[in-house]
Amino acid sequence: MELSWGPIFARMVVQFLPVWIALIATFAVSITYRRRLGLYGKLFDSPVGMIGFGLVMFWVFTALFADLIITHDPLAQLSGLKNAVPGSALKDTKGDALYSHYLLGGDALARDVFSRMVMGARRVLTIAPAATLFAFMVGITLGLPAGYLGGKLDTLLSFIANLVLAFPVILLFYLLVTPEIRATGIPIVLAAVLFLFPIIFMTILFNSRYFTNPRQRNLYVGITLAIGLWAYSGLAFNADPTGIFSMDPNLLNVFVSVVFVNAPTVFRIVRGIVMDIKARDYVAAGQTRGEGPWYIMLWEILPNARGPLIVDFCLRIGYTTILLGTLGFFGLGVSPESPDWGSTINSGRKLLTLFPHPAVVPALALMSLVLGLNLLADGLREESLKD
Amino acid sequence: MTATDPTQIWDPSKPILEIDHLSISFFTRLREIPAVMDFSCRVMAGESMGLVGESGCGKSTVALAVMRDLGKNGKIVAGSIKFKGRDLTHMTEDELRHIRGSEIAMIYQEPMASLNPAMKVGAQLAEVPMIHQGMPQAEAWALARQIVADVRLPDPDRILNAYPHQLSGGQQQRIVIAMALMSKPALLILDEPTTALDVTVEAGIVDLVKALGEKYGTSMLFISHNLGLILDVCDRLCVMYSGEAVETGNVVEVFDKMRHPYTQALFRSIPLPGADKNSRPLVSIPGNFPLPHERPQGCNFGPRCDYFQAGRCDATEIPMSDVPGDDRHASRCLKWTEIDWNAPMKAKVTKEKTPIGRVVLKMEDLQKYYSISGGAFGGGAKKVVKANESLSFEASEGETLAIVGESGCGKSTFAKVLMGLETATSGSIMLFDENVQSTPIQKRNTDTVSSVQMVFQNPFDTLNPSMSVGRQIIRALEIFNYGANDQARADRMLQLLDLVKLPRAFAERMPRQLSGGQKQRVGIARAFAGGAKVVVADEPVSALDVSVQAAVTDLLMDIQRENKTTLLFISHDLSIVRYLSDRVMVMYLGHVVEMGTTDQVFQPPYHPYTEALLSAVPVADTRVIRKRIVLEGDIPSAVNPPPGCPFQTRCRWKSQVPGGICETLMPPVRVLAGNHQIKCHLPDAVLAQMEPVIKIAAE
Repeated sequence: MELSWGPIFARMVVQFLPVWIALIATFAVSITYRRRLGLYGKLFDSPVGMIGFGLVMFWVFTALFADLIITHDPLAQLSGLKNAVPGSALKDTKGDALYSHYLLGGDALARDVFSRMVMGARRVLTIAPAATLFAFMVGITLGLPAGYLGGKLDTLLSFIANLVLAFPVILLFYLLVTPEIRATGIPIVLAAVLFLFPIIFMTILFNSRYFTNPRQRNLYVGITLAIGLWAYSGLAFNADPTGIFSMDPNLLNVFVSVVFVNAPTVFRIVRGIVMDIKARDYVAAGQTRGEGPWYIMLWEILPNARGPLIVDFCLRIGYTTILLGTLGFFGLGVSPESPDWGSTINSGRKLLTLFPHPAVVPALALMSLVLGLNLLADGLREESLKD
Repeated sequence: MTATDPTQIWDPSKPILEIDHLSISFFTRLREIPAVMDFSCRVMAGESMGLVGESGCGKSTVALAVMRDLGKNGKIVAGSIKFKGRDLTHMTEDELRHIRGSEIAMIYQEPMASLNPAMKVGAQLAEVPMIHQGMPQAEAWALARQIVADVRLPDPDRILNAYPHQLSGGQQQRIVIAMALMSKPALLILDEPTTALDVTVEAGIVDLVKALGEKYGTSMLFISHNLGLILDVCDRLCVMYSGEAVETGNVVEVFDKMRHPYTQALFRSIPLPGADKNSRPLVSIPGNFPLPHERPQGCNFGPRCDYFQAGRCDATEIPMSDVPGDDRHASRCLKWTEIDWNAPMKAKVTKEKTPIGRVVLKMEDLQKYYSISGGAFGGGAKKVVKANESLSFEASEGETLAIVGESGCGKSTFAKVLMGLETATSGSIMLFDENVQSTPIQKRNTDTVSSVQMVFQNPFDTLNPSMSVGRQIIRALEIFNYGANDQARADRMLQLLDLVKLPRAFAERMPRQLSGGQKQRVGIARAFAGGAKVVVADEPVSALDVSVQAAVTDLLMDIQRENKTTLLFISHDLSIVRYLSDRVMVMYLGHVVEMGTTDQVFQPPYHPYTEALLSAVPVADTRVIRKRIVLEGDIPSAVNPPPGCPFQTRCRWKSQVPGGICETLMPPVRVLAGNHQIKCHLPDAVLAQMEPVIKIAAE
């Protein structure tokens, strides 16, 4: 028996039950203690920010509880449900082992659109924030000295950043993922360079602060280097002996490309803020007591640049999500079977006029996440300006 | 009350502006914050009214309320503001637009923020009558030219065709005043119009404002925190405290016969000429300014008042009560009839003067040049900015050496070179018999670094806003290798907080939870963390309110006495310099023009620049008679200094020097009696004839 839209929505709401519970708990706790939570707490004074945060958290929790929410295996193909309309009932439920309906229909390969959409959230939300974080590490590590020290270093780094920004992004992606380019090893080299930055960043961060106390410094820097280099070997060269850190070569490509195109923009933002903040008296106070430049950059300047950076971080996750979608749409990057939203939209577009639902569902999901991130960034910006 | 007909012709014998029991509140998402309560004042035609008070007392809010420009959070909750008999509080936006800029004009603190950087000055000025009176363009430009000449700007035609950024700060402020005068307003509101300017420029603007007020018969509402300025400009004043007017009256009467404890405390916290740090220490007002939502019951000043009487002062709201016999003089105090206003100040402990020890810092012939490139791409001719020229002086242990000068005189560059942030071009700096002139701070050893420290000017900028107070002090201790472990450093940090008289609980606070004065104290604690021997204080109190200034100044002096610190006190405020320094060094355009003990510098013979500087500083004392010397023009640029004597372009004594050598020859340093140095060509006979700028009239 087919379901009409009312029951479909009702059933979806039920499926998302863990997400609702988690959302209600988050909001209840946050609103109760908002006066003690700093900027995060202030977010709950702005309706726009709250809606944005709600949308983002909805997808975060969906990604977390995806295993509980999905109704079918996102890769399983069931006969008779190819391009099935939303609400189609399964012909053979194999006893009670399977959920009785394809809530949002089936795609061209007879897979459950709803489950793929839910699982896609997990894919998107693991890659996008991580790639953005790496882009920030690179941008910050280079932007701080460019802005603070200036001079030739600044000229050189700004020139390189502008060069990358001036290059068409899509063409860059195509180049990075074509087999010929990959055979030259350029992506691996790029990964090797880009993944080094977080380690450099953390090492300098701890060293500049704790160098007065060598024991503490050695401890922190040691831990950073141990974990960092371990992860580095696995992620960049796939040479982790334990095999915990590894990255699919396709994914690595996408990751590197995304970091590579995002980092210059972050670099420019950081550089601009640093040039403003370095004229403050507390920076001069640091200089007059003989602090090193990295301490001043990382501990005196960076924390005070956090406002605009957090806002940009949110916006950039949204941008990266779309970028990943675009990449998937072009068939670049992640594996063809992957349920990520970009690839799903791409595969659904072929039959868009006949069966719109396989493409529309992930498109709506992508739209709501990006909208949520934008609203969240707006809310944060607005609230960080108020007292 | 009779209804006022808006069309009726306004009677000039009635007040121009009449504010009646005005209350203003700001509404935030947490609560309603009352900014001004029950404020009344009356400005007659041609009268200038001063509003004085510390930051946060609501004086600017009153001005904005008159303009009805309180923003979306601010609301007038009670009372009325009548301008020429018409109530502004009930006017529509449309009616207000006709009044703003044409009948009421406002001048703000920051001139550059009031001018459109993309429009020529002439176009901005001409716009005013074109909009308000529909004047034809040619006529408007002609009027603009006339007004620009009226505000005493040289070469009006060139100025009209200039963009704002091509003018100096003083010129910009004159343009802002000209713009306000374009439509011949009946009321001019000036909100701290000279705070962003140098003292000699300020003196020019103040003179101008006074003269224009008389010429055009404009009434003025003059807002300032500087009592001396109010005395110079205003006929009447209104002292505000925490949202209320506490005393109002004729300027001379309020200055001489104050009838409110807050006014009295305010006067006692500012240094007056002739006062000395050891004989008449400044009396700061105890406690802190109450936050708007934490105001006490009854008298707002009660908790900080010496005459406070529990059960009476904190019982009911206190109304203004008239002081009989005076000219509209009123005080918001219940006890003003009972207080003995002529009682001398409580005898303070007279503090011993610090003995001056051996020489710790010696600069000889220090020069610092910057080269800047001429073209946009690093090409073009290289230009040299001579920030410091042949600076020589020495400072001894326990001594306070004041460095006085206006912006661009090279005092900050000098501080940077001393701290090691820049290296000197030539010359030597001997610090404890060690030559440090070409050692940048990275190469100095920790002892040297920790023994020369700095206190910064802006309290809101001196602490890292995202680090707790305790952490910032501990960081300084860490970097100076103080203490064996974290515990020792934490203990020392608490001791330092005790030293600067802050509660120990402040260690956990973030800087934004502290007031300006408290932040400045933390800055001082941080500077003294490594047992500094030489402390450079770069205008440490100029951004603070007067009542707090006294406390912070005294604190610095106390620490100096205890540690025998050498204090290099950079300031442009001559009253505070006179109050606390042992020796004074006056700088102009990178040169030391005069140096000597405080008495030598503050008494004739003066260097002409010192003389002008002394006469420019407003003094809040009616007994003081000052000679007015207003310098023409602005400070020349250090990129292109005038030939000969740096001061010759503005010097009023130039004609007294035979042969016009001022324009060609750099004057040599002359040593007068008592090692008093002056860099001037004036013959001894002329120097000897100089009269003191400040005289205290015999009572």
